[in-house]
Amino acid sequence: MGKATPHVVATFYTTTAALAMQKAGVRHGLRGRLAPIPRQLSAGCGFAWREPAEGGAEVASAAADAVRAVLEAEGIEAEGVVLLDL
Amino acid sequence: MDLFTQKKGLALVGLIVGVGLAILAFLGNPSNMALCAACFIRDMAGSLKLHTAAPVQYFRPEIVGLVVGSFLIAVATREYRSTAGSSPMTRFVLGFIMMIGALVFLGCPLRMVIRMAAGDLNAWVGLVGFVLGVATGALFLKRGFSLGREYDTNKAAGAVLPLLLIVGLVISVATTVFVVSETGPGSKHAPWLAALVVALVVGALAQKARICFASGLRNAFLVRDFEMLLPIAGMFVVMVIYNLATGNFKLSFDGQPIAHSQHLWNILGLYAVGLGAVLAGGCPLRQMILAGQGSCDGAVTFLGMLVGAAFAHNFGLAGAAAAAATAETAAVAGGPAFAGQLVLVCGIVVLLVIGAANVRRQKAAASAPAAAKAPALDADEAAPAAN
Repeated sequence: MGKATPHVVATFYTTTAALAMQKAGVRHGLRGRLAPIPRQLSAGCGFAWREPAEGGAEVASAAADAVRAVLEAEGIEAEGVVLLDL
Repeated sequence: MDLFTQKKGLALVGLIVGVGLAILAFLGNPSNMALCAACFIRDMAGSLKLHTAAPVQYFRPEIVGLVVGSFLIAVATREYRSTAGSSPMTRFVLGFIMMIGALVFLGCPLRMVIRMAAGDLNAWVGLVGFVLGVATGALFLKRGFSLGREYDTNKAAGAVLPLLLIVGLVISVATTVFVVSETGPGSKHAPWLAALVVALVVGALAQKARICFASGLRNAFLVRDFEMLLPIAGMFVVMVIYNLATGNFKLSFDGQPIAHSQHLWNILGLYAVGLGAVLAGGCPLRQMILAGQGSCDGAVTFLGMLVGAAFAHNFGLAGAAAAAATAETAAVAGGPAFAGQLVLVCGIVVLLVIGAANVRRQKAAASAPAAAKAPALDADEAAPAAN
């Protein structure tokens, strides 16, 4: 188990929205990936987008803005966007 | 809880659940059926006289334990969340068809793994169908399948199924109202208190580890993540050891308890379960765990499975177990009768129709603008997500 690093995590109400984010994230050049939703965040077994945000508060804020921008541009409904060490 | 966020922890959870399964098998549950969501819901339906197949009637404490174990741990760890509203009637149908498929195969995915661990090659054949079913479901997800999101509802609503099951268990233990088989699988069971305690633990662990046979494979297909398969691997290892140690391991197609070698129907039965499970967001076991943590949609799926079990035995849809010839009776090949074959094929067609009918374009599926959801960068504000 590697050392936990900060990630911006976007969670979704449906698997469909998560899979849409997978495509959109790649298309918009995000560095993250779709992965099972962190157990700390949800009792569900769906997916979440994990965007690396290592490098301090400014980097985290920029990563969060980038994720939100993709969500908005693609009309994808997210349940939450949070910062988490994973 | 760290145990549930690390790979080693998830494998350990699988080992612990596997020990629970071994205890249930040792204490008297039917052969290669230590814990089976489909078979035990079927037995419960029989005990409630929803069907009258004499060998499969018993109010299984394990079902109560799974749901209530999930409920208690979810409440204790503040993960209980009463939700509803994600295409409930469609989920009822999915539960119904999953149960028909499982009873044609003679087991849910959990029993499939238990049978595989006992050397039952028919279960390995069934695994092919299950994998194909999950893969088909994953394709629908990639094309935009969704039953819609769940919404928060009255807190008490999510507790109804756990409470009903507790009441049923009390009636079962304290009275003779419910039917109990005198012969057959329904007559074989661990002592009720032991069964309840083991199932409570398994239910709690399954809730915390998010154990789901279908989602484990779905994640492997969709995001190449194998983490959710670890608990299943843990269970399998323990059950192999248990079966080897007790002399129950027998690598063969023939002579397996409560099984048949109709390969096509084993494959199609579990194909329906795999596909239905991905569309419903969880395998039969997972549906009970979801129901326990407050999902009314999970509870509706459970009811679909209960009614499906009743139909399966009232109308001769379930597969028959193969049996060797005796002095009095001829050998039985087992498998589903024509009615079961027909209904299963129709069920698969219905699943495909449900899959196609609920494919949505992403832009249209987003019912609210993304900007409306702009939560702060604070993990404490993240609410649990629906499937």
